[in-house]
Amino acid sequence: MTKLEAKNIVKFFSHESHKLEALGGINLKVEAGDFVCIVGPSGCGKSTFLRIIAGLETPDEGQIIFDGHPVSETSPERILVFQEGALFPWLTVQDNVEFGLKMAGIPKDERAKISNRYLDMMQLTKFANSYTYQLSTGMKQRVAIARALVMDPDVLLMDEPFASLDAQTRDLLLVEMQLIWEKTKKTILFVTHNVAEATVLGNKIVVFSNRPSIIKKEFENNFPRPRVTEDESLLKLQQEILAELRPEVKKNKE
Amino acid sequence: MGKNFTPHRIAFYVGIIVIWQIISMAGIWPDNIFPSPYEVAEDLAYGAADGSLFYGIATSMWRLAIGLTIAISGGVVLGIFMARVEVINQTVGSLVLGLQSIPSIAWVPLAILWFGLTDGGIIFVTAIGAIFAVTINTYTGVKNIDPHYIEAARNMGAKGSQLITAVLIPAAFPYMISGFKQGWAFAWRGVIGAELLFSFLGLGFLLNAGRSLNDVSQVISIMVVIMVIGLVIDSVVFKKLENKVMSRWGLQ
Repeated sequence: MTKLEAKNIVKFFSHESHKLEALGGINLKVEAGDFVCIVGPSGCGKSTFLRIIAGLETPDEGQIIFDGHPVSETSPERILVFQEGALFPWLTVQDNVEFGLKMAGIPKDERAKISNRYLDMMQLTKFANSYTYQLSTGMKQRVAIARALVMDPDVLLMDEPFASLDAQTRDLLLVEMQLIWEKTKKTILFVTHNVAEATVLGNKIVVFSNRPSIIKKEFENNFPRPRVTEDESLLKLQQEILAELRPEVKKNKE
Repeated sequence: MGKNFTPHRIAFYVGIIVIWQIISMAGIWPDNIFPSPYEVAEDLAYGAADGSLFYGIATSMWRLAIGLTIAISGGVVLGIFMARVEVINQTVGSLVLGLQSIPSIAWVPLAILWFGLTDGGIIFVTAIGAIFAVTINTYTGVKNIDPHYIEAARNMGAKGSQLITAVLIPAAFPYMISGFKQGWAFAWRGVIGAELLFSFLGLGFLLNAGRSLNDVSQVISIMVVIMVIGLVIDSVVFKKLENKVMSRWGLQ
C-alpha cells in the first residue's frame, strides 16, 4: 500500500538576490512500512524535502500525497526528528517526551503511562527527570526519537539525526533504530550523508542528484537484519551507491 | 547570600561609616547640613518605632507591585505580538522605541492631569516607566527563539495560544527575565520619583517631607532605605531567578 507519494516536488531557495532551484521535480513512492534512506550531496535539498513532507514548508510546484490526500499543513501524523533534536531546554526529559500528548489534551496519568513506555524503549527511564543540558548528544537524540514515537506517527521523518554523534554511539543507535522499526512497523524516511549508515538502515536507498535535485537512482536493500556498519555483505551496495553519488558531489563542488 | 558578606565588602562599608563619622566629627559643616551616621541611624530607629517608615515602605512597595505587574503582563503581550506580527512591529514597535526614551518622571504631569493626586497616578507612572523595557526584551527574546522549537511544537500539534504559552514564553524566558529586571529598576525609580512630586504617602513622600522640614538626617536615612531595598530585590529576587533560569536553560 502506498503510504506517501511525492509528485514532481519543485522548491526554490532565495539566495541573496537570485533564486536557486533546490528541488527540480522529485517523484517518490513510499510503501507503508518502508525504511527509506535518502542520500545526496550537501545542499541538494534533501532536508528541505523532509520538511515539505512534514508540512513545515510548501513546495513551489507539485504535491505530497499522504494516505490518498494532499498534504497542506503540518500534523502529528508525520513527525520530523531534527538534526539537533530541537528539545525544549525548559522541560525535563519526561515532559519533553509528553509534549505532543499534552498539546492533544491527554490527561496526566494517561500521558505518563504512554511516555514511560517509550522512555523505557529508548533506555531513558533513569533520565526522566533530567534537563536536556545534563544529557550527552546521543542521549538528546534518544529523547528526540522517543518524543517523536510517542505521537505514534504514521511516518517518521529523520533529518540526519546521528550526524553529530561519535562513532560508538552512532553504531549503537543504528542497531536500536532497526529494532524500533521492526517493533513499531513505522514508515521511516531518513536523510543522511553517510552511505554506510544508509545501507545499514534502509530497505530502500534513494540517491538525490546535485541541484536542482532529482532522484538519480533507487536501490533495494534486503540483506538480513540487524545489520552493522562493518558488514562485508553491504560493501558492494555501498560502492554502487557511492559510484552514483560521487559525480554529484563533484558537481556540487564546482 | 554567602558571597554577599565577603570580608572585603564588610570592611568597605564599615570603612565608609567610619570615614563619614570622622568627617562629621571634624565639624567642617554644621550637623543640620551633614549629620553623622549615628544621627541617621537614630532617625531610622525613630521612623521604625513610630511605624511611619514601615508604612512608607509598604505603600511604595504596594504601588511598585501593582505597577510592575501591569508592566510585565502588558509588556509580555505587546512584545510577543511585535515579534510575531510584522505589521505590529513596524507600527507599534517604532512607537515603543520612542516612548522608551521618555524618562518615567516626564509622565508625572500627564499622570496628575489624568488621575489627579491619587494612587492611580503614581501606579501609572510606575507602570509606564517599566513596560517598554519588558516589551523590548520580550520582543528580542521571541525573535531569538530557535525556529526549530516552534516548528517541532507545531509538528507535534501545538496551535495558537498553546504555542504562545507552551513554547514562545518559556523559550524567550531568559530574555524576559532581563526585561523584568530592567523593568523593576525603572519601576523603582518611577515610583519614588512620582511620590516625590505627588507628595502622597510612600518613601518618596517621606523624602520630600524631610526636605521641607529641613531634616537632612531623614532625607539621608530614606535614601539609604531606598538603596537597601533596591539591592535586596536585585540580588535576592532577580539574581536568584536569573541564575536558576540560566542554568535550567543550559546557558551557563
